[in-house]
Amino acid sequence: MFIINCPYCGERDQTEFSSGGEAHIARPKQPTELSDDEWAEFLFMRKNIKGIQFERWNHSHGCRKWFNVVRDTSNDKIHAVYKMGEKPPVNK
Amino acid sequence: MLNFETTLQDSKSYGDLTLSEVEPILKINLRSNKREFSTKIGKLLSIIPPIEANTSSSNEDYSVLWLSPDEWLIYSNNKISYEQQNLLEENLFNNISNINQGSVTNVTDHWVMINLKGYKIYDLLSKSSPYDFKNFKMKKGSVTQTLLNHTDVILHNIYDNNLNLFVRRSFSEDLWLWINDSARFL
Repeated sequence: MFIINCPYCGERDQTEFSSGGEAHIARPKQPTELSDDEWAEFLFMRKNIKGIQFERWNHSHGCRKWFNVVRDTSNDKIHAVYKMGEKPPVNK
Repeated sequence: MLNFETTLQDSKSYGDLTLSEVEPILKINLRSNKREFSTKIGKLLSIIPPIEANTSSSNEDYSVLWLSPDEWLIYSNNKISYEQQNLLEENLFNNISNINQGSVTNVTDHWVMINLKGYKIYDLLSKSSPYDFKNFKMKKGSVTQTLLNHTDVILHNIYDNNLNLFVRRSFSEDLWLWINDSARFL
């Protein structure tokens, strides 16, 4: 259990949020030109790092907005929170 | 056939704590990210939708609650007939939705509003909500969307120890029963 600072509503308990998985995965510009393996790589393969991870979260029981979080998965410490479309405030 | 009649019972009291459903009142959901939207609402209802998060603005007739940066909930402070509700909805629809300034959705039958009064209301809410009510109860007009007994609710602090709670109609009976059950042990 941890507290997330929603960029719209402020600090809230984690139970109000839903995790949306890894952030900053760009959709291929020409999906029709990809092989099955490359398409599967884009769709399904995600990092599972022990340490700093860039994630998408949704404040599903609050303002229902999506945003990005930089979280250390080993201790759930949140290093940064930033809105969709913004650049990460820490190096990726 | 949908049954719009509420299943909640009349007002209940547990010592100082009073719970009651308030109806019929108008509830309208507004969504827009257009600049002119606020002035439009101001002209139509004499009230400006709040920009600051977790706040509300009120006049004699209506309250507008901030739900997200581009979403608000309007509700009438007093009971009004369904005919009046329809007139107001039509007025907003014609002046906002019809000219692509935003969306107007009548959610009167979607939300049930329960009024909670008494100095123990925050003890009751804290029994099953992850939200920290410290700042909420100090500030008149505060709004929050959170969970109460695993159910989505919108809370509006009207003044000291008096708040309105909005819950979806399909969850209202369950939450009402939980509130009554919990209030007995305060």
